Amino acid sequence: MVLPGNPGRAFLLSPLDWNAVAAATALHAHPDRNFRYWLLTPAIFLLLLVGLFPLFYSLVVSFMRIDMMDTDTSFAGLYNYANLFSDMRLWAALGHTLLITAIALPIELLLGLAMAYLFLDRMPGRQIFISLLVLPTIISPIVAGATWRLLFDNRFGPINQVLGWFAGHPVTALWTLNPKLVYPAIIFCEIWQWTPFMFLILLAALSNVDKSQTEAASIDGAGFFRTFRRIVLPAIWPVMAIAILIRGLDLVRIFDIIWALTAGGPGTMTETISVYTYSQGFKQFETSYTAAIAFLVIVILTVVVTWAIRRMGLAK
Amino acid sequence: MVTRRDLGKIGLAAGFAGTFTRPAWAADAAQAAVDAAKQYSGQTITIVWEAGLQSLDPLNFSGPKWKELTGIDVKVVEVPVAEMFTKIMQDFRSGAGAYDALNVIPAWMPDLVNAGALEVLDPFVDKYAYRDELQKIAPTYRDNQMMVNGKIYGFPDDGDVFVMYYRTDVLGDPALQAAYKAKFGTDLPVPPTNWKDFDQVGQFITEFTSAKPYGAAFFRESGYGNFMFQERFRNEGGKFFDADTMKATINSDAGIKVLTDWVAENKWAPPGVEQWGFVENLAAFLQGQTAMTISWPPYGRWAASYGTDQEVMSWVPKSTIAGKVGYAMTPGGHPELAAGFCLSVSSASKNKEAAYLFIQWLNSESVSLERVKLPYALRDPFRDSHFTDPGYAALWPEAKDYLAALQAGANNGLLDLSLLQTDKYEEVLRQSVSKLWAGEDPKAILDAAAAEWDAITEKIGVDKQKAVYADWASKSGAYPKM
Repeated sequence: MVLPGNPGRAFLLSPLDWNAVAAATALHAHPDRNFRYWLLTPAIFLLLLVGLFPLFYSLVVSFMRIDMMDTDTSFAGLYNYANLFSDMRLWAALGHTLLITAIALPIELLLGLAMAYLFLDRMPGRQIFISLLVLPTIISPIVAGATWRLLFDNRFGPINQVLGWFAGHPVTALWTLNPKLVYPAIIFCEIWQWTPFMFLILLAALSNVDKSQTEAASIDGAGFFRTFRRIVLPAIWPVMAIAILIRGLDLVRIFDIIWALTAGGPGTMTETISVYTYSQGFKQFETSYTAAIAFLVIVILTVVVTWAIRRMGLAK
Repeated sequence: MVTRRDLGKIGLAAGFAGTFTRPAWAADAAQAAVDAAKQYSGQTITIVWEAGLQSLDPLNFSGPKWKELTGIDVKVVEVPVAEMFTKIMQDFRSGAGAYDALNVIPAWMPDLVNAGALEVLDPFVDKYAYRDELQKIAPTYRDNQMMVNGKIYGFPDDGDVFVMYYRTDVLGDPALQAAYKAKFGTDLPVPPTNWKDFDQVGQFITEFTSAKPYGAAFFRESGYGNFMFQERFRNEGGKFFDADTMKATINSDAGIKVLTDWVAENKWAPPGVEQWGFVENLAAFLQGQTAMTISWPPYGRWAASYGTDQEVMSWVPKSTIAGKVGYAMTPGGHPELAAGFCLSVSSASKNKEAAYLFIQWLNSESVSLERVKLPYALRDPFRDSHFTDPGYAALWPEAKDYLAALQAGANNGLLDLSLLQTDKYEEVLRQSVSKLWAGEDPKAILDAAAAEWDAITEKIGVDKQKAVYADWASKSGAYPKM
């Protein structure tokens, strides 16, 4: 007799035995299968409730005309989606988001990689330095933004004071108002907070690179960049690609630092898509239109992420 | 060292003292509210209040006192003013009914009423005989900030008005006055009563004293700049809309002049003034770095060092100018009744009557007088009796002049613009102010702002908004009587 679930020896059974096995399976397997589904039901229900239901509900709302003044729940067709295309502030916000992402992401990657290389070898106090470097990442972004707002304050902020020492006269740079300074200020804060995240992930990836290969390349006369390109990069690429993807998505959703530093100003010069969405949804109560914006962002991100995953070879 | 708990005890003691020394209470609206509220003893009412100093009133004074008198607990939900509208609307829309009583900025009332978030108070006012005491609220607030469509939705509870503060020792300096007369051929106006004089005096002080002190500083940060623009624009003769077409007219010559003058003023104001809000402006004035400024009433109290020795006020810079401050109406003579608060009842509340009784008690003549005198709270005089109260006038040597300036401001003040979806219009103004500090051209800024206002009006509905604007513009404080 072979117990069901041990098919490795099933070929030793006679046809008569096979009938017995089939009968036993019919008796015992069905209750087991149903039971495991019952076990999964609460988790699936919870996921549907907190994940899919709001998504579906938002989609439904995006086809209505609910705003601060009206709660008109009748079907409004593509009214909100049509408005998206003529909303210049929305597209400007998307442009600002892309600008910040396009500048901050490569800098965070390069700085994180450089720092990871720096801390790859053993050195005195390495663990302490790594712990200190990671501190910005564990601070809430809204707190980080509020702190940087104080640091950038033109009257009481230490940044202007320190610059004043070097300049030899008081400096009253308006970091969050001057169009030439406001993006550098935002991007600097973003890089300060999130480069350590890149650093940690890349340090872990670099630590796993086979040293025998890099040493062999070195013996063969390969320079640093050649070794990096041919040996290290292919080895760390899967991890690096994930880090780029995570940080890229974070940057597209950037809200806290902008809100705390500039609230999207001056004017709407630094308004990102998240800030605009929040403003429309929770300050102006354009509920249905906000839902349409959210779905536009979901569609854009889905296309971009799918393309990026294929391009980065992560789908293999 | 006075702790927050001690303040509560002081407040309670003051409350009891008030109870026993004021026999008139027996017949007033406060006592009526207390008597009726006892039936709800053991219940809890939740009130939304601005976070920070404002909420020390219900936390340390009125909340504990109400509990003592009625047995009703008061739970205070502190919300930053920028989030208050959102929180109130979210609670209403969700049907949660988490809030019973509300602090509402009067300019929001049409939106909140239109959404159905506020309870009509007339039946309660009649039931608890509060109309007589309501009539004693200063006319500007009573007539303009209490009703929507002829019904009462909130009790005006905070006499917010901009006041011009000036240093009497600086503007009264004989050497400065002589030099001013030598340069301009006229006496230095103390205080300046129009913007031309204000700018001339301010620039002259900065130059004459080598910026010790600067002639003046202002709120320039966009959130405050919105109020400053609304005031000055109307004092320059500007109208927000063409009443016939509802086309925005903020890009008129008056609007462009205001923004152009602001840029010019910044050249003799302290460096970085573009980012100054309440605290920066306050610190500079109290530390004697500026000779003139415009702000809400608390500046006057704190400049005189009233109550600033308490622990909760430790963040307020020590005044170096007590006894050297004059109070006047802002240039143009029509100060902004900027923001302010009304007390309302949430339509989603499950304890409407208890909530109403609490706000009637808070707003009543006797209790409100105690509240506006609390040194740590930010409620400003708003009843005729507050302006003439001998006790208030004796709080510091110049308090009588201060109260007179507040009353004059209330009588001549300008209401914040209040339409359907007011915040959308104000958001455009806030963004316009920050664009100005980013270096954009005033005319281009206001042309763009007017276009955005028109788009907002179109979306809301021109006729619908026109009716609301006509109602607002007909109020006594909408535009100066030129």
